[in-house]
Amino acid sequence: MRRYLIFIGAGLLLLSVLAAWGASARGPKPVELVPTLTGKPEYCLTCHGDLPQISSSHPIKTFGCIICHGGEALALDANLAHSTMRGGANPSDLTVVEQSCGGSQCHSGSAAEDRDHIQRVMRSVQSTYSGAIASMLYTFGAQPDLTARYGMHAVTDDQITTSTGVAELQAFNAAQFNNSSVSQFAANCTTCHINAKPNEGAEYARWNGCSTCHTPQAPDQTAGTGGKVHQLTTAISYTQCNTCHNRGNYDLRTMTFVPRTDQPTDRLHNYYQPIAQFTQCEYKLDCIDCHTRTEAMGDGDIHSNKIEIQYIQCKTCHGTPTQLPQTKTLMDPNDIAFRLADLNVVAELNVGDTILVTDKGEPLWNTRVLPDGTYKLISKADGRVFIFKPVMGSGCTQDPSRQDSAYCHTCHAIQR
Amino acid sequence: MPTNRSNTRSGSLSPGYNPVMRPSFFNHLHPPTIPAEQSRWRYTLGAGGTGVFLLLVVAATGILEMFYYIPTPDMAAQSIQTITYLVPLGGFVRNLHFWSAQALIVVSAIHLLRVVFTGAYAPPRRFNYLLGLGLFIISLLLDFTGYVLRWDQGVQWALVVGTNLIKTVPLLGNWLYVLLTGGSELGLATLIRFYAWHIFGLTLGAMILTVWHAFRVRRDGGIAVPPPALRRDQRRISRHELARREVAAMLFTGAALVILSATMAAPIAAPIHDLGAMSGNARAPWFFLWVQQVLKWGDPFVLGVALPLGILFLLALLPYVLPKPASAELGRWFPKSNRAAQLIVAIVSAGLIALTIIGRLSTP
Repeated sequence: MRRYLIFIGAGLLLLSVLAAWGASARGPKPVELVPTLTGKPEYCLTCHGDLPQISSSHPIKTFGCIICHGGEALALDANLAHSTMRGGANPSDLTVVEQSCGGSQCHSGSAAEDRDHIQRVMRSVQSTYSGAIASMLYTFGAQPDLTARYGMHAVTDDQITTSTGVAELQAFNAAQFNNSSVSQFAANCTTCHINAKPNEGAEYARWNGCSTCHTPQAPDQTAGTGGKVHQLTTAISYTQCNTCHNRGNYDLRTMTFVPRTDQPTDRLHNYYQPIAQFTQCEYKLDCIDCHTRTEAMGDGDIHSNKIEIQYIQCKTCHGTPTQLPQTKTLMDPNDIAFRLADLNVVAELNVGDTILVTDKGEPLWNTRVLPDGTYKLISKADGRVFIFKPVMGSGCTQDPSRQDSAYCHTCHAIQR
Repeated sequence: MPTNRSNTRSGSLSPGYNPVMRPSFFNHLHPPTIPAEQSRWRYTLGAGGTGVFLLLVVAATGILEMFYYIPTPDMAAQSIQTITYLVPLGGFVRNLHFWSAQALIVVSAIHLLRVVFTGAYAPPRRFNYLLGLGLFIISLLLDFTGYVLRWDQGVQWALVVGTNLIKTVPLLGNWLYVLLTGGSELGLATLIRFYAWHIFGLTLGAMILTVWHAFRVRRDGGIAVPPPALRRDQRRISRHELARREVAAMLFTGAALVILSATMAAPIAAPIHDLGAMSGNARAPWFFLWVQQVLKWGDPFVLGVALPLGILFLLALLPYVLPKPASAELGRWFPKSNRAAQLIVAIVSAGLIALTIIGRLSTP
């Protein structure tokens, strides 16, 4: 054997060892995090150290990443680390929300402890789409009345608390109706419930599940970056609501979605469809300044129509010519109003403060009754302050028995 | 006992040898001189020696892995992630372990083919041929048990289907299944058993058979070449030259392993969450792809158990039923005197390779 072969072999081995060593030294240095809630090390921050903390209610040192996202805590290879993530990039997708947001009884549990967010959302019209389905089936003769029987997912309710509550919904399957309009509806009109994949286009872009509303900026599908936003908030701007609402109309004849063609340049015209009437509250405030979490996420019952759960009216805050709005002075430091105010600190709320409440007794914690008999509303989205007066004592001559918002619009609607 | 041999435990040709002592094992394997024909690359391909080197690398890296591996179903895959990503050089050591184990199968198969295609199994080497065959089977089982120790979704198919195959053995099936898996279903007992087999039972068997196999090579007169009178090349090489060639082979093999390990990561997947749900990779390990492929075509016992055992039996019988290859033709590829064995093994190998390729290309 030629002796230089030994030297070549030794040189080759040395070179390859050096190359291997160099390659491994270039790899990322593991960044460990041991969240207090799990006590188990995770290494997601090795690559994701630049992500902002998702919200002040979910501090990274307490929660870490795995408790919500799943995934392989120890893997430093992206494919493996991400292979077992819940819901891909969105653990709040309704198919996995119980394991992520609901885990350890966080946002899942009993109504008595106000931990039943997931249960309420799963039954709400926003996720079941039961109202639209029921109306459509009734319109095309596929069911005898407007009571909901189907949802985008099957769901049951064994504790009905309202007169309009329904015990169960079956999963909507267009094929069982053998009706072309129903099939068209299924094909064209089921992109609006909160677990649907939205239509293409930046104006529709949003996440699914809880993040539909709570992740503020929509993923920018047109920019090509995915526009991923790592944030959860209760300060939900009207723009978030607009990714679904005010985007166009459904043509009942052809069962197709007809997007609005106008291009509003200001907020007044951004909001509403041309024939709609509305007052300045409805384009100056953010949606959540008036509409409560119960309206948005449901009251735990399965309803057949949005109307059954959307109950905030002008009179909730303004009262009627003969009656002041309902108020409550907060004396119990454990009142739910304080918990809600803590989650979105736009104004200090103290024991002894008097706030407005809804007919159902829900605290409108962002309002205050002022000593002079006027009221203050602090916008939940951006902290703007609005002072307003009750109807009683004003010049309003409206029939006290006709106090729904539609009547208010008759005089107070904005001219466009 | 008068002797002119100097291969003493001191290992040199120096005159101060102790004639009472037997040669050391190293010197037993490296006599002062051997016929040059016995260590020609073209003839031996260096496969046997490379196999021993790979075995040493597998053992050394395996011992290192044992310091971190945790053989419980809920921790196994996680501890492998720890080794792979968090232990300094852990991923590299694991890759070395993986690649040398895969290379060992390939090199062993090449060694087996070399022995058959050169007629080297002829008496007096029939028994050592069986030892080698046994060693090859043990290597396959070591590879399979090591593969299962990952206990992740990548091995789920092989784990579930492989162990279920045992149940198809007539009469003894269920008993064998419990013997293998430690219970009526896969779990902690199964993993512990695979672990014990991997690091102890099979490893011990491999060590004993390797030493025995190597020892028998010399006892049977070294690597098969024609008797001195019939040799065309009468030259001999010294043990130093033999050792140099072995070192060169080790260096080149080592460099290849390091390059492989630095550039191609050993497979890893997410931990198994539900053994019942056949999610994840449904492909058998590459050396059993051919079994997976034939299993699609009929009775699991006949094709999955009896067929592999039959092939093994056939290989084992070759030196005993076929005519003895001519002594003059030893040391040469494809001697005329053992055409039958060449044909049988060529057909079997071509079949296995073809099935492996089909298995790799088809959806599992």
